[in-house]
Amino acid sequence: MYDTPTLERTVDNSTVKFSARDVHVFYGETEAIKGVDVDILDKTVTAFIGPSGCGKSTFLRCLNRMNDTIDICRVTGKITLDGADIYDKRIDPVQLRAKVGMVFQKPNPFPKSIYDNVAYGPRIHGLARTKADLDVIVEKSLRRAALWTEAKDRLNEPGTGLSGGQQQRLCIARAVATGPEVLLMDEPCSALDPIATAQVEELIDELRQSYSVVIVTHSMQQAARVSQKTAFFHLGDLVEFGETGQIFTNPKDPRTESYITGRIG
Amino acid sequence: MTTAAFLCLFVLAVAGYLWNRQAASAIRANGTRLHSLEGFHGFYALLTVLVPALVLILLWQVLQGPVIDALLKGGISERLDGLGTGEVQLIVAEIKSISRGAVFGTPEQWKFDAAERYVTLNMRSDTLLLVVVLVLSLALVVFSRRKVAAEFRARHGVERIVSGLMIFCSVVAIFATVGIIASLMFETGKFFAKVPVTEFLFGTNWEPQIPLREDQVAAEGAFGWLPVMLGTLVITVIALLVAVPVGLMTAIYLNEFAPKKFRAVAKPFLEILAGVPTVVYGFFAILVVAPAMRNFAAAIGVDVSPNIALAAGSVMGIMLIPFISSFADDALSAVPQSLRDGALGLGATRAEMMLNVLFPAAIPGIVGGVLLAVSRAIGETMIVVMAAGLIAKMTINPLDSVTTVTVQIVTLLIGDTSFDNPKTLAAFALGMMLFIVTLVINVFALRIVRKYREAYD
Amino acid sequence: MTDLSAQDAPFAGSSGSALVRRRNRKQVIVQGLGLAAISFAALMLFILIASLVSTGYKAFTQTHITVEVFVDPDEVSVEKLPRGGFREVLLASLQKEFPEVTERAELRSLQNIFSNGAQFALRDMVAADHSLVGQTVTLTVPVSDPFDQLAKDLVKRETPEAQRRVNDREIGWFDALDAAGKISQPVNWGLITNADSRFPELAGLKGALVGSFWALLVCFLISFPLGIGAAIYLEEFAPKNRWSDLIEVNINNLAAVPSVVFGLLALAVFIGWFGMPRSAPIVGGMTLALMTMPTIIIATRAALKAVPPSIREAALGVGASKHQVVFGHVLPLAMPGILTGTIIGLAQALGETAPLLLIGMNAFITSAPSSPFDSATALPTQIFIWADSPERGFVSRTSAAILVLLTFLITMNAVAIYLRSKFERKW
Repeated sequence: MYDTPTLERTVDNSTVKFSARDVHVFYGETEAIKGVDVDILDKTVTAFIGPSGCGKSTFLRCLNRMNDTIDICRVTGKITLDGADIYDKRIDPVQLRAKVGMVFQKPNPFPKSIYDNVAYGPRIHGLARTKADLDVIVEKSLRRAALWTEAKDRLNEPGTGLSGGQQQRLCIARAVATGPEVLLMDEPCSALDPIATAQVEELIDELRQSYSVVIVTHSMQQAARVSQKTAFFHLGDLVEFGETGQIFTNPKDPRTESYITGRIG
Repeated sequence: MTTAAFLCLFVLAVAGYLWNRQAASAIRANGTRLHSLEGFHGFYALLTVLVPALVLILLWQVLQGPVIDALLKGGISERLDGLGTGEVQLIVAEIKSISRGAVFGTPEQWKFDAAERYVTLNMRSDTLLLVVVLVLSLALVVFSRRKVAAEFRARHGVERIVSGLMIFCSVVAIFATVGIIASLMFETGKFFAKVPVTEFLFGTNWEPQIPLREDQVAAEGAFGWLPVMLGTLVITVIALLVAVPVGLMTAIYLNEFAPKKFRAVAKPFLEILAGVPTVVYGFFAILVVAPAMRNFAAAIGVDVSPNIALAAGSVMGIMLIPFISSFADDALSAVPQSLRDGALGLGATRAEMMLNVLFPAAIPGIVGGVLLAVSRAIGETMIVVMAAGLIAKMTINPLDSVTTVTVQIVTLLIGDTSFDNPKTLAAFALGMMLFIVTLVINVFALRIVRKYREAYD
Repeated sequence: MTDLSAQDAPFAGSSGSALVRRRNRKQVIVQGLGLAAISFAALMLFILIASLVSTGYKAFTQTHITVEVFVDPDEVSVEKLPRGGFREVLLASLQKEFPEVTERAELRSLQNIFSNGAQFALRDMVAADHSLVGQTVTLTVPVSDPFDQLAKDLVKRETPEAQRRVNDREIGWFDALDAAGKISQPVNWGLITNADSRFPELAGLKGALVGSFWALLVCFLISFPLGIGAAIYLEEFAPKNRWSDLIEVNINNLAAVPSVVFGLLALAVFIGWFGMPRSAPIVGGMTLALMTMPTIIIATRAALKAVPPSIREAALGVGASKHQVVFGHVLPLAMPGILTGTIIGLAQALGETAPLLLIGMNAFITSAPSSPFDSATALPTQIFIWADSPERGFVSRTSAAILVLLTFLITMNAVAIYLRSKFERKW
C-alpha cells in the first residue's frame, strides 16, 4: 500500500467495491443470513440497520472473512471485492483483511504503546522499509483518525490508558494504517459517550473521501447522519437497500417503515 | 467405651430434637403463632446437645493419653528417677505392651503392677467419659426443651450455631498453617541450639552423620545447606528447561491452532499426565529414563553418575508439562476476544496474532504459572527421592549426581526417629527453609495471577 | 490495484509475495512446534504406560506347581499341629518325581522350587481338616520367584549359567515338571488377596489397599465437612475485611505448600506432640485431610460462585433468611461442582506418597490392618517399598501395583468428569 497510497486515487463515485450475490450464512443448523444481494459502492458510507439479531453484524463479518474464526460458521453464495471472489480457495484471508480493515464494537487497543498499536499493521504487512517510513505512516494514520494532536506527545504510553473515545479513534487509526480500501465498522460508537460519538461520526464522514465505509449501527439517527446508502436487515433478510434519504423518508417495504417509525425493534 | 459414649450422645440428641419439635407443635396446635417453624426448635435442641458434647469427647480423646501416661509415670516415679528420656519411653512402652497381654521375656513384678494400674486408669477414664457425656447431654436436652416458647427465636439460634461451626471450619485452615509454622519453628529452634545458624546457612558441607557413641570422634556431622540447595536448583532448572518450552508450545497450539476434535482428545490426555502420582514418575525415572540416559552416555563415551541429575530433572519436567500448559492455556483464554479480532481484522496471521498480541498480553498469567511450577519443582519429593542421589556436592554438572532438600528430609526421617538428635532436627530445619522459599514464591506468583485475572475481568 | 482479479496472487501484499511466503512459513513453524510439543508429551505418556504395562502384565499371573503330597503321619501328627514337618512332606512329593536326587545340597535346591509359602498353605489345609493326615492331597502352590521368572521368560535360558539365578540342572527339573503338566500359570489373585511379603511370589497389595481405604476414609470424613463449611462461610457469610483476605491468601498458599512439609507437620504434631501411633492410617488420613481441604474449599467456592445471583435474590425476595437461601437453594445447586472437586482432591490424596513416608506408612507389615489405628502401608508407599526392593521379582510387582493405583485414579477422575458433564449447567 505504501507504493500506491489510496489517497491519490481517483475513482468514480459509482464504482462497485463489494458485490454480494445470494449470500447465506449458517451457524451450525441455524440460518443467520438468508440470501442477501447487495452492491457496496466505493467512497460511500453504507449503513446496515435493523433490530438486534437481524444478521447485520454477521453479514459485515463476511466481508473480511472474520467469520472464518468461528468453527461452526458456514458461508455460501458469492461475495466479490473489485470483481474477485473473496471466498475463492486461493484467497488468503489474511491478505484480504489487510485490504478490508475493521473497527469493532468495543475499542480493543492492544496492551502496547499508542505508536506500536498503529505501527502493528504496517509492520506485519511490510509496508515500511525504514523507521522513518513507519513514523510517517503512524503520523498520517493518527492525523486521519483525528487523534494526532492529542496523542503526539504520548506515543509511547500504553494505548489502554486513553479514554474510550480516544481508544476507538486509535483503533480506527490502526485500521487505516494498513492502507485498506474498505473500512468495516461494527457499531463503532455503541460503547462511547455522545461527545466521543460525535467525534467519531465526523471522522467517518472524512474517511469517506478515501475509503468505502460500511457501518453497522443500532441508531437510526446515526445512520441518517453519516451514511449515503442504507440497508435494512430483518431476521436474516435484506429487506430494503437504497439511498439513505429515500429509506428514511419514503420506505418501500412496510417492515422498514415499521422499524423506522419504531413499531419493531 | 467411646463408641458407647457416641451412641448415647446421638440417641439423646435425636430425642432432644423430637421432644422440642413435638413441644413446638403442641404450642402451635393451641393456635399460638410460632416465631420459628417446629423443625428449627428441633434442630436447636439437636445442635445444642451435639456440639458441646462432641467437643468434650474429642478433647477427652486427645488429652486422655498424655494424662494417663503422666499418672502412670507418677506411680512408678521412684523407679524412673535418673533415667534418660529414651529409657523411660522404653519402659512405658513395655508396660503398655504387657497391659495388652503381650509379654516378652520375664519383666519385673513392678512392671506387671504398673500394667495393671494402666488398665484400670484407662477403664476409669472411659467410664468417667461416659458418665460425663450422659450428664452433659441430658442437661442440655432439658435446657433446650425449656427454651421452647412461641416467641423463642429458634431459627436465629440454629443459624448462630451453624455460623459458629462454619467459622470454626475456616479457622482450621488457618490452624494448618499455624501448625506448620509452629512445629517447624519449634524443631528448628532445637536444631539451632545444637548447630550454629551461620554454619547451616552458609556452610558448604552437608554430611549429617552423627556419632554412634558418645566418645566417637570420627563424624561430628556437617550441616551446611548450600550444596543441598544447589542440587535442588540444578534439578529445578533442568525440569523447567523441559517443561516451559514444551508446556508453552502445547498451550499455544491447543489454544489457537488445534482443531476442536484434537483439543477434545488432547485435553484429557494432559489431565491424565497431570493426575499421575509422583511416585509413578519416580519409578519411571529409575526404570526407563535413567538407564536410557546411562546407556546413551556410555555409547558416546561420556562418563556419567548412576543417579544422573538429568534423569530426575527431565522426568520432573515431564510432570510439570501439563501444569504449565494448563496455566498458560487459561492465561491465553483470558485475553479478551476483542484483541484477537483486532489483530485478525488488521490482517495478522494467526501465528502473528498469537506471538505479537495474545502471548504478550498473557505474559503475567504465564509468569505466575511458571513461578508456581518452580515452587512445585523445589518441593517435589518422590521423583528425586527415587531417582536423585544422596550425597551433597557443590556442583552444577547435570551429568553428576546431586541431592535435594526434599531427598534429605525424607532420608533423615525415614526409619525410627527421636526428636533429640541433630540429624532428625536438621530435617526440620531443611523443611523450614523449603517452606519459606516456596511460600515466598507462591505468594508472589498467586498475586501476579490474581492481578492478571482482575485486569481482564 | 483495483483490479485484483488480474493479478496472479489475489490480495497479495504490495511488497511482494516474498514477505507473504515468509509470514506463512512462520505460521507453519509455530504450528509445527506446537504439534511437536504435544507429540512429545503424548510420546512420554505412551512410553510411561507402555513400560508399566510391558513390565507389569506378567505380575497378573503367577506360576503355580501342582503336586500330589502324601501327608506322612511320621512327619505330621494331629497332636503336634500346627507344628510339623511340612517342608519335608513337600520335598518328599518332589523326590518321587526325581528319585535320582539324593545329595543334601541338591535336595535343598529342589525344595527351592516351592515358594516359602507352600508349607504354610499345606499346614493350613491340614489344620482345617485333621483327617488329611495319612492321605494324599493334591496341592497347587506358587513356585518361588526365580522359577516364576524362568516360566515368564524373564530369566533367559540363553544367558550363561553363571549369570543366571537358576542353573541348568534346576531348569531341567522345571522343564520336566512342565512337561508332566504340573506347572500352570493361573491369574494371580494373590496380588490383591495377600498382604506384603519378603518373597515376591507371595507379596500382594491387600494391606496397602486396606490401608489406603482407611486413610482415604479418614481424609474424606475430615476434609469434606470442614472444607464445605469453610468455603460456605468464606463465600457467602464472611465480611470482606482483612481477616477474610488473610484466610483467603492462606488457603491458596496452603494448596501450594510442598506435600513433604505436611509430613513434617504430621510427624511433629500428631506423632510427636499428641503421641498418636506411627504408621497408622488415621494419622495418614488426618495429614491427607489437611492437604485435601484447600482443594475442596477452592472447588466449593468456585461452585458456589457459579450459582447466579438471581437465584439468591429470588429466594431472599420471598422472605427466606440468608441461611435458608444458602442451604436451601445455593448449596444444592452447587453440589455437583463440590462433589467433582472432592473426588479430584481425594484422587490426589490417594496418590500422595511423601507425607506418608515421613509418618512411617512405609513399614514392612505382613497383615492387613483391621482398623485405622493399626500399622499399615498405603498403595503409593507400597509401590515405593517394592521399587526399592532388590529382588528382581518386585520390578513387575511394582509396575502391576502402579497399574492398580492408576486404575483407581482413572476411575475416580472418570466419575468426576461424568458428574461434571452430567450436571453442568449454563446459566
